[in-house]
Amino acid sequence: MQFEWTEDQDAFRQQIRDFLHANLPDGWEKFSEHGPASPALTAFARSFCVTLADAGLLFPHWPRDMGGEGLGPWEQQILSEEMWIAGEPRGGQYMNVNWIGPTLEKYGTAAQKARYLEPITRGESLWCQGFSEPDAGSDLASLRTRAVLKDGRYVINGQKIWTSYAGLADTCFLLTRTSDDRKKGITIVLVPMDTPGITVRQIPSLIGEGDIHEVFFDDVTVPETARFGDEGQAWEIVAYSLRNERLGIPRFTLARAALDRAVAMLKERGDFVREHVRIEAARCAALCEGAGTANYAVVQKRVDGLAIGAESSSARYATVMAERAVCEFVVEFLPEALAGASPYLKMHHQRGIVAGIAAGSAEIQLNIIASDVLELPREPR
Amino acid sequence: MQLALNDDQTQVLDFVEALARPFVSAPLHDAGLALESAELDAALVENGFLDVMAVEELGPVTAALVVEKLARLPFAVEAAVSALVRPLIGPDLPRPLCLVEEGRLSAPLRFLRPGATVVVVGPGGVNSFTASEDMIAPAQEDTLYAYPVAFLKGVPGDVTMHDADPAEVTRAWRVAMAAEAAGLLGAALASVVTYVSERKQFGRPLATFQAMRHRLAEAQVVTNTAYWLAMRAAASGTRADAAMALLHAQEAARRVCYDYHQFLGGMGMTLEHPLHLWTYRLKLLTAELGGRGGQGLAAAEALWG
Repeated sequence: MQFEWTEDQDAFRQQIRDFLHANLPDGWEKFSEHGPASPALTAFARSFCVTLADAGLLFPHWPRDMGGEGLGPWEQQILSEEMWIAGEPRGGQYMNVNWIGPTLEKYGTAAQKARYLEPITRGESLWCQGFSEPDAGSDLASLRTRAVLKDGRYVINGQKIWTSYAGLADTCFLLTRTSDDRKKGITIVLVPMDTPGITVRQIPSLIGEGDIHEVFFDDVTVPETARFGDEGQAWEIVAYSLRNERLGIPRFTLARAALDRAVAMLKERGDFVREHVRIEAARCAALCEGAGTANYAVVQKRVDGLAIGAESSSARYATVMAERAVCEFVVEFLPEALAGASPYLKMHHQRGIVAGIAAGSAEIQLNIIASDVLELPREPR
Repeated sequence: MQLALNDDQTQVLDFVEALARPFVSAPLHDAGLALESAELDAALVENGFLDVMAVEELGPVTAALVVEKLARLPFAVEAAVSALVRPLIGPDLPRPLCLVEEGRLSAPLRFLRPGATVVVVGPGGVNSFTASEDMIAPAQEDTLYAYPVAFLKGVPGDVTMHDADPAEVTRAWRVAMAAEAAGLLGAALASVVTYVSERKQFGRPLATFQAMRHRLAEAQVVTNTAYWLAMRAAASGTRADAAMALLHAQEAARRVCYDYHQFLGGMGMTLEHPLHLWTYRLKLLTAELGGRGGQGLAAAEALWG
């Protein structure tokens, strides 16, 4: 057991930092306030990711036969950490390289791989994730958006909600219902967002422009070949994808960076002398570092080729605790940060407050921990 | 970064487990509030398990792993300070070791008894003396803490000064307490999980009620992070990591001990269930080194100056 990065890993981290330093524009911090799903950041990401791809830093963790550098999960972690601390200049494209690409590779047809993987590797595509519905949030398996196969085409009707990036995405990774069998009746369809019958409505939010949408599907028709995996295979595929996604965003690193930034501001104005402020800051740091090591323990399992199980939910909940603590620290001791004094801390706050909601609610993580880590007898249904 | 146990660590922990097997169950009814075993202590010493830190291929992380594992036993053992702090002061100091902060000599001292080495750590230095009968005031018989504790009546005039950096000793002290707390947290959680999974009310196990499931799941999260922070602090040797590890463990202890007794209901108030052996040790550890505030200030100083 050792907790040091190797020299190569340190060099890799430095390479990314140098790249960011050279390629992020002046005033980037203020700009990143727009949020990863905003039109402004999405447009920036479209050129940034092309440059990132040219430098071999868009998907270096992918295996060589997928065009990657064959670097491991630790390098993916380092890449994600540095990007997220920098305000995620890849915008929504982080999803492509974290889970959409690997999921396409594992479950896609040859035609789907040919169509979708290359734009991802060029840094040119943006996906959205059509999962939640007005009546199917944490209870995802109750989703009702229906896909009916007729004459070799799926006709889709229904509504999705909370869909990040929907306003600008090219393709939707869409969960649909093809039979009434609860989990086994769900099927994934890859739907181009310019297909007639799709209407996107943005919902103004606390977490930045362009982040939350409703998406309506009215007789949206796609060929049968747009189905991803078999009919009824969605639950298995999504479980695979979400395990990657839950590890995907190293939120604890941004929380820690935001905490350091807040402390620096407090010190600058001579306010980091009060004991209760110092103790609270240390408590936040411990939560961030605890979440970090818990996450690294999960990455280790991936490095060792072991199945990642419910411990990723525990690591994720630790991250939620850290995010909450840092957000509350800033609001209590630096309220002006969210009112213009620190674009970076505002950016953190807007990303941090969603930590317990996005990619499966914190309460669902607690359910998973109770059943699968602690192995408590299950609740009656 | 390599967070899996290496072969040496696995082997050491397997040995410790085999040695501790006769001590995994608490004797009921006839056990007092505190529980220890001279036999277990002697076996650990004889097999060198409290000296693994000095072994090059083992080092402080293995020592912390041993301490964490031993803390899970219902029997209290003075392992943490011997395994993780003693090598910095004097590897041959007679056990048990009782660490005490200068200026806090009136605190209840764990394992204090005639022949124990009392180590006083102050900003000016580290000194020690061997406790004799006349220096010790026993705590009241039914002290709740589940460790053997006693009080110092006085400090002798002649003490041994040690060539040890007090800040470094304090760092190791924090690591030792964090590792011990991590094991106590793990054992207390496991014991509560077993109870609420078996105990039925309203026709179903208590553990099927979400009011408990979520609180226990949160307890698992902080127990897990306490473990990792303790191991990382042992590995890195930095003051910031040590202070954060103990701060987090003390926070976790405060958070979970109440819940655990609550979930056991009346059973959690009896000595028929061993829960108190872990929770009341944790409670005493929350007072160590100035409690959460002490650790918080130390961590803030180390992290940000």
